[in-house]
Amino acid sequence: MTNAVYRHVARLADIPAGKTLCVVVEGREILLCHTADGVFAMDNLCSHAAARLCEGRLKGHRIICPLHGAAFDIRDGSALSRPASVAIGTYPVKLEGEDILLAWESGAAELARG
Amino acid sequence: MVDSKARGEARASGPTVADTLLGDRCPAPKPLLESRYEFLGDEDIPFSRYTSRAFFEQEIERVWGRAWQWACREEHLQEVGDTYVYDIGPYSVIVVRSAQDTIKAFLNSCTHRGTRILAAEGSGYSGGFTCPFHGWSWQLDGTIDNIPARWDFPHVCPETHDLQAVSCERWGGFVFINIDPHARPLAEYLDVLPEHFAHFPLERRRIRLHVEKTLPANWKAAQEAFMEAYHNFETHDAPNGANAQYDIFGKYVSRFIHNIGNYSTEALADYPGDKWRNPPLTEHEILQILSVFGLRHEEVPKGETARAVAAADLRERLGEQWGLDLSGVSDSLMLDSIEYHLFPNMFFFPGINIPMAYRFRPNGDDVDSCIFDLMILEPLGDAQQHPEPPEPVRVGIDESYTVVEDLAWLGAVYDEDTGNLQMQQQGFKTSRKAGLTLGNYQEARIRRVHMTLDEFMSGADTRN
Repeated sequence: MTNAVYRHVARLADIPAGKTLCVVVEGREILLCHTADGVFAMDNLCSHAAARLCEGRLKGHRIICPLHGAAFDIRDGSALSRPASVAIGTYPVKLEGEDILLAWESGAAELARG
Repeated sequence: MVDSKARGEARASGPTVADTLLGDRCPAPKPLLESRYEFLGDEDIPFSRYTSRAFFEQEIERVWGRAWQWACREEHLQEVGDTYVYDIGPYSVIVVRSAQDTIKAFLNSCTHRGTRILAAEGSGYSGGFTCPFHGWSWQLDGTIDNIPARWDFPHVCPETHDLQAVSCERWGGFVFINIDPHARPLAEYLDVLPEHFAHFPLERRRIRLHVEKTLPANWKAAQEAFMEAYHNFETHDAPNGANAQYDIFGKYVSRFIHNIGNYSTEALADYPGDKWRNPPLTEHEILQILSVFGLRHEEVPKGETARAVAAADLRERLGEQWGLDLSGVSDSLMLDSIEYHLFPNMFFFPGINIPMAYRFRPNGDDVDSCIFDLMILEPLGDAQQHPEPPEPVRVGIDESYTVVEDLAWLGAVYDEDTGNLQMQQQGFKTSRKAGLTLGNYQEARIRRVHMTLDEFMSGADTRN
């Protein structure tokens, strides 16, 4: 993320504590997770069967896929339970007052998608 | 040395728990003044019950496959679709809030080719259940939803291929399951629990801390370390507990009450050494010991007792902290270790300062280890809703409880309680003597569990 710039994606008030919000950045869905330890961002698609994680549930630091119940650690994207085994991409986040800023490298999403 | 009283009638010398409760400034509720005991026998309990694979495997079928056991708290299932996977021996059960006011349970096994549907134990979420193998799916209420290539399964219908239901009931904010399709209602097993806990409802508690640890002993040996206070002197280097009260309420429920903030020097009369007897601890010294609870007083005012001062300080501090009026709560509930056991493996503490729930269960198919779930259930403030429960803190088999900072002073106590277990499990196997010997009164709860266990093992309890 050497060329990343922080861009505004949402306001803190948009996400109740313990909940998630899906935002679209350059056509890519990003899941914002509001936890007691701050806001974390990751790709919105489960690495197993591509279900949308925004339709799942945040529990502590775990996001749970609604389709097969796979869990991911939102802090580093790692897969915590089967049937998922591949990590999900995460993005640095910083807060400026009420504003949620996401570290974003233009064009990286397309490259990642192949 | 030997008391001439009829077997089981002898008690520790000196004041009883009931004497303490009747002398407390803030009186105890009626259930705590009840006392019920009968002599249950004095034969040794065979060590093989803790070490034999054949016995263990029969327990899996006859006890874990047939007894009610709590799987989770209702607070784990706050929204429709919230799930909790509870594993016990080879069995796995999914508990789910299938509708706003409905909690159901199912065997965690696909009705196609048997695959587990949810992989991870503990709390989770499902929009609906989908097997990861071929994609068969079910609604949250267990009814079959979709079968890919339905044309190939004309022989499949909802009656045969809905998820396999497991009996599921609730009490005290806990969700209980019973794998036996012929299970009798939970209420038939709860004995006095609903009546007693009406005075101290566990529904109005929330999980403040959940610690899960593997212990190096059979599940029964582990839970039995928590069923008596007789070990306090040697294991905890503590004077109280020698005069604890033990109650057997029926086949499934027992209790001890062990006073905190006082002790009986007479009850320690034949314990080794003069410690705590000559001279006895002063009220000031007792208050210093209780200071780990976070008290406001550093001295016991003239004419007061450490017990009354500690109870009053805790009422004030915890009441303020939680937004609760604790002014009418008895000294006993504020301070004492009051522990109810429900067969086969569950413990509930109604106390305010000692507010735990325990569960001991086999660790997969290992005879020699078990999983100990420890929850601290803190009272909820008036009108406060249950927050999302914390994730369990997992402590390794060789790790100390003191790594869990939130356990505070309790960490070292649990290390002491569990520190004997590996040596006990090893000692079972080296003994020439065939079984363990139990005290007629102080260890009667352990015997009661084994008697009920026998009824399950023979099928007498569950197959009548």
